[in-house]
Amino acid sequence: MLATDRHAWTNRWRFIHPGEKALFVAGLLAADFALPALAVAPQVFWAAYLATVTGARVPGRAFWGVMAVPMLFLLAGIPALALSLNLDGAGPLLSLSPEGLALAAAVSLRSLAAVACLAFLILTTPVPDLLALARRLGLPPALVELAYLMHRLVFVVLERASAARQAQEARLGYRTFGTSIRSLGLLGGGLFLRSLDRGRRLDLGLAARGYHGELRVLGREPELSVKRLALAVLAVLVVVALALVQP
Amino acid sequence: MTGAILAVDGIEHTYAGEVLALDGLSLTVPRGCRLAVLGSNGCGKTTLFLHLNGSLRPGRGRIELGGEPVSYGRAALMGWRSRVGLVLQDPDDQLFAATVAEDVSFGPLNLGLSGPEVRRRVAEALAAVGIADLAERSTHMLSYGQKRRVTLAGVLAMRPEVILLDEPTAGLDARGAELLLAALERLNAGGTTLVFSTHDIDFAYGWADRVAVLAGGRCLREGAPATVLADAGLLAEAGLRRPLLLDIAEAAGVPPGGRDEILARLAERKTGS
Repeated sequence: MLATDRHAWTNRWRFIHPGEKALFVAGLLAADFALPALAVAPQVFWAAYLATVTGARVPGRAFWGVMAVPMLFLLAGIPALALSLNLDGAGPLLSLSPEGLALAAAVSLRSLAAVACLAFLILTTPVPDLLALARRLGLPPALVELAYLMHRLVFVVLERASAARQAQEARLGYRTFGTSIRSLGLLGGGLFLRSLDRGRRLDLGLAARGYHGELRVLGREPELSVKRLALAVLAVLVVVALALVQP
Repeated sequence: MTGAILAVDGIEHTYAGEVLALDGLSLTVPRGCRLAVLGSNGCGKTTLFLHLNGSLRPGRGRIELGGEPVSYGRAALMGWRSRVGLVLQDPDDQLFAATVAEDVSFGPLNLGLSGPEVRRRVAEALAAVGIADLAERSTHMLSYGQKRRVTLAGVLAMRPEVILLDEPTAGLDARGAELLLAALERLNAGGTTLVFSTHDIDFAYGWADRVAVLAGGRCLREGAPATVLADAGLLAEAGLRRPLLLDIAEAAGVPPGGRDEILARLAERKTGS
């Protein structure tokens, strides 16, 4: 998560309007779901990969790092899709049918491509920029504000948690399984109390700067470029064309 | 001295659980001064600061801002906080926004200023603390010293008359402290009143022009550093040690005084002998 966030803040496309990136992703997702999976999903996947790695210059390792966990879930799900369990007749019968295999392949390819699109978005756009976009698209301000604060505080808590864990380790808190469980419990409890305390102080700090119920900040407003919007559409069209000309 | 910007008279504050934090504290803050509030842990420094910007309300006693008694209505508090800024000790308690520029824009926007004016103030505040180049950086990717300066910029952008700083130099390395103090000195030269708490008695002695010594929720004494910090009985009562320079002056047989006086006398002796 920390690495993902760092790339989002430092990649080459960081200052490109999030709307342009979102349009590209929305187009790819629409193609991914509208066209036959086997034909379109690989094109969508590679389009997202190239945009991330070649376009925004995010290292490939970061891309695969984001993909790793969803890929594991997909792998775990494949048997359930491919195999069918038949309870009629002489007893439970587990069978592998060609239709089951095709279904499993289609579903996993489609999901993999969709996840790649989201990986592109999250690796090239900082979360607050995405939230600003969501607000402009009509998400309730209170919800956006909450997510904004949570995103900021997650990092504060994460820092505290890793410092506290190191302190516990230094006093051999993770020596055996038993002590690990105990230490982890203490860590969680401690973090909860500290977070409450921090919330109270954050409130004081905000009030000192005139907070009265609305977190307003002056965001950057990157230019929405017609040229880049057109390029995004063109890229999606190329993907669609590649999918359609395939036999 | 052109009168007091802030004055508290006999304020008391009790936290939940019957902990008496302030016990009849009285203190006057002259306009344009650099006032150091000294005292051991738990003497009531932070509680005092929270009273000075209206975050806490005293159980008893009076507070005056610019000669007028304060009130705690919504509009009055707004005005109060735009005149008296507070910089907390832990920058993570104050930075909430995603980027530096966004965080600094929070205060001016709350003052109801227009977009271009807010932008101007953000740029000015960042320049004042020497971090104009960090404007678009993410707040959680800054060093501790940078975060401290961003919180100061966030308060500066509201152009307050008084800035309250809770332990401004604690946890900073020499370079970080130097940069922060240089920014504060420029502000003070421009007429901003500075009130800061500190444990660093040598820093208070050398840098402040007034010091107030707190103990047990009261202000024992307030005045020029050279006289207040030379009072051995007072320092013992407050649990403070004597500034190192006064020890040196005594050992060298030089009469006590302010930092510059002692340094000048020591230099004189060196050239004389």
